[in-house]
Amino acid sequence: MKIFKLFIDENIKTWKKLSTKIMIIAIILSLFAVLTLVKFMEKTEENLLVYNSDNSTGENEKEFLEREIDFYESQLKNEKLDEETRLVTERNLEMYKLYLEYDISPYNNTWENELVDYIVEQKINGQNTDETVALLKNKNYNDYIEYQKKLLKQQLDNNTISEQEYNDELTILELKGKYEIGKNYDQESYWKRNTIQKIETAQNSLRTGINKETNKLINAEEKKDLEDSIKLNMYRLENNIPDSNNGSNTNYRMRFELLAPMFSIAVISIAIIVIAGGTISNEISTGTIKFWALTPNKRWKIMTAKLLSILFYIIILVLITSLLSVFIANVFFAEDGETYLYCQNGEVKEIGNTLYTIEYYFVKAIPIVIFALFAVMLSTITRNTAVAVSFSVALYIGNGIAMQIINQFITKDWVKFIPFNNLNLTTKIFPNATDMTSMMFGTNFATSTSLIFSLAVLGVCAFLMLVTMYDSFNKRDII
Amino acid sequence: MSKVVLELENVNKTFGRRKVIDNISLSVKEGEVYGFLGPNGSGKTTTIKMILNLINRDSGIIKVNGYDTKKQFEQAMECIGGIVENPDMYKYMSGLDNLKLHARLRNIDIKRIYEVLKLVELNGRENDKVGKYSLGMKQRLGLALTLLHKPKVLILDEPTNGLDPAGIKKLRDILKEIAHKEGVAVFVSSHILAEMQQMCDKVAVLDNGKIVKIEEISDQKEEETEQVELRVKNIDKTIKILKEKFNIEAKTEKEIINISLSTKLLPEVVKELAISDVEIKAVIPKNHTLEDIFFDATEKENNKK
Repeated sequence: MKIFKLFIDENIKTWKKLSTKIMIIAIILSLFAVLTLVKFMEKTEENLLVYNSDNSTGENEKEFLEREIDFYESQLKNEKLDEETRLVTERNLEMYKLYLEYDISPYNNTWENELVDYIVEQKINGQNTDETVALLKNKNYNDYIEYQKKLLKQQLDNNTISEQEYNDELTILELKGKYEIGKNYDQESYWKRNTIQKIETAQNSLRTGINKETNKLINAEEKKDLEDSIKLNMYRLENNIPDSNNGSNTNYRMRFELLAPMFSIAVISIAIIVIAGGTISNEISTGTIKFWALTPNKRWKIMTAKLLSILFYIIILVLITSLLSVFIANVFFAEDGETYLYCQNGEVKEIGNTLYTIEYYFVKAIPIVIFALFAVMLSTITRNTAVAVSFSVALYIGNGIAMQIINQFITKDWVKFIPFNNLNLTTKIFPNATDMTSMMFGTNFATSTSLIFSLAVLGVCAFLMLVTMYDSFNKRDII
Repeated sequence: MSKVVLELENVNKTFGRRKVIDNISLSVKEGEVYGFLGPNGSGKTTTIKMILNLINRDSGIIKVNGYDTKKQFEQAMECIGGIVENPDMYKYMSGLDNLKLHARLRNIDIKRIYEVLKLVELNGRENDKVGKYSLGMKQRLGLALTLLHKPKVLILDEPTNGLDPAGIKKLRDILKEIAHKEGVAVFVSSHILAEMQQMCDKVAVLDNGKIVKIEEISDQKEEETEQVELRVKNIDKTIKILKEKFNIEAKTEKEIINISLSTKLLPEVVKELAISDVEIKAVIPKNHTLEDIFFDATEKENNKK
């Protein structure tokens, strides 16, 4: 167990260094910096909301509607109006009259607004509006849903829609009725509306066999993904688990949970690169490499112990950071954090917030290993800490933008083999989670490879670097 | 007979086109302090690094305690301890912590650490950071580090660098003690002659990567030949007496007769000469110093060229 002893020695050596302690403090501070930032956002946006709601009191709305109605009526008196404008004006007039009559806010987007649109349509087409107006008068949401169901049935009977479409639409309506989606206009129902829209889109894609977003035929894999996404979104509605993707903006805890890993992982990466970039070169320049080389341990064991200690250091730092992140989120935010949902064999499963946060941190930390290996390799080959650290840090910071540019200009297939195109593993391991990197840089064909492919590319890359560093360290003279 | 614990056989090393080490062979026995002498840049440190396997040799065999340092690296390194150039430690850690790191790798208990600290007279300062140590203390800590595992071969590269006279004497005493009492073979390189004279039992002189001479340093041993300088009035008569009675070839240089004879014989020779009335002015024993060996050897080498 010589390697184990070397490994312990390496760790003692690292932890006794002052710079190590400073790095840990820096990482902890980065978490608190994010916390402050998010709290600041919360404060600012709260003020903004108060300001907005002050501006749209009921009184003003009424005045606004009356003014609009006056305006449209005067417009209609104008004889020179062309046909098209007249039609639009009439329609708007009808709409505003209904708004005024039934005390509906024109700024909202509830079922009542929807119904008003429908009534106007009916009036223009000269249809009977008694039933719909009654619905508006009663202000009963469930009746509205029932009415829609009736309409749907009629459509089926008239053969204007297929059986499949009827079933899909019916499911949506039932979901709407069950969870009262569109009944009120508030932040709470906002995510639900988005979710139901997603279900609708997915159903549509499945029915037509064409992906609505890309306008391409869907293959078997995509089909399964779509089916899973429907199940997931239904599960969300059922268990009231909002999706951070769905822009429920008032959940500041989720915002913290998205930003914190980004910042702290960046700080950890730099810290690790600084340590890794000095592994061999620092020891050679201070002469302490002899300390190890003069013990009865073969050089590959010394190297392995050093690599293991760096890996251990990464794991410890990420673990500390993720636990602290969970702790901060629990203490400083009242909301629920993100619960990760995924589909396995057609069954929806949950990962709790704590476990998910820790897992997310670790997945996000995988690229650190690659950059650390790169730094160790440079350190071994060049034996110059400054070169190793600066090159690795530059690569770490610059790779995202560099790849963005390269992917834009080179649209050949081999681009996907570039390791930096495969670093973003979070979207591949947690496909249902929001990913800030892809939100910023977007995904394209080069980054949308499968998880196994990415891991293989990174594995080959790591293997080559390992071979290089071991070879260099074993064969070259130490001093 | 004491056992050979360090053996170099036809070792070669070239850096680029320059041959740094040219076919070196030597052997060091147990309990021997072996000096490795040479001017700067003669290849002392390179040889030591090759013995410690810090750099690779081009050809030749190096064996430590019978183990080849390349093929049986780990066994060989178990028996060897060394300081190359400077005793470099982790400056941000205390001396004791540095020793503990090493002790863990070699399964040495804490008792031995304190034993060694006492030997090198660092006890009491072991908890100070190495960065605050003086150069002499660092040298001593380095020595402690190499002595921890009781090596059979101790290799020191210019260990007296930066030591004050008292420190040098102390180091000398420690080395002599561990060599003669514990039977450790000590291999010391240096370019300071006086130091080696006082310390070593045997000296190899290295010049331009070649061993030009291997010499035992006499320590008032019996049966040792001695160089004596005679100053007499009657030179011819003296030479005759020496030739006839003692069969000693004498060399004359101006008015000085140089002879070499065994230490035992000297009183008899003086007595005989006195009786023969050659009027002895002075009998000066010429100490066979390391300086002579060194300059003899290096000059010869230079004259050849």
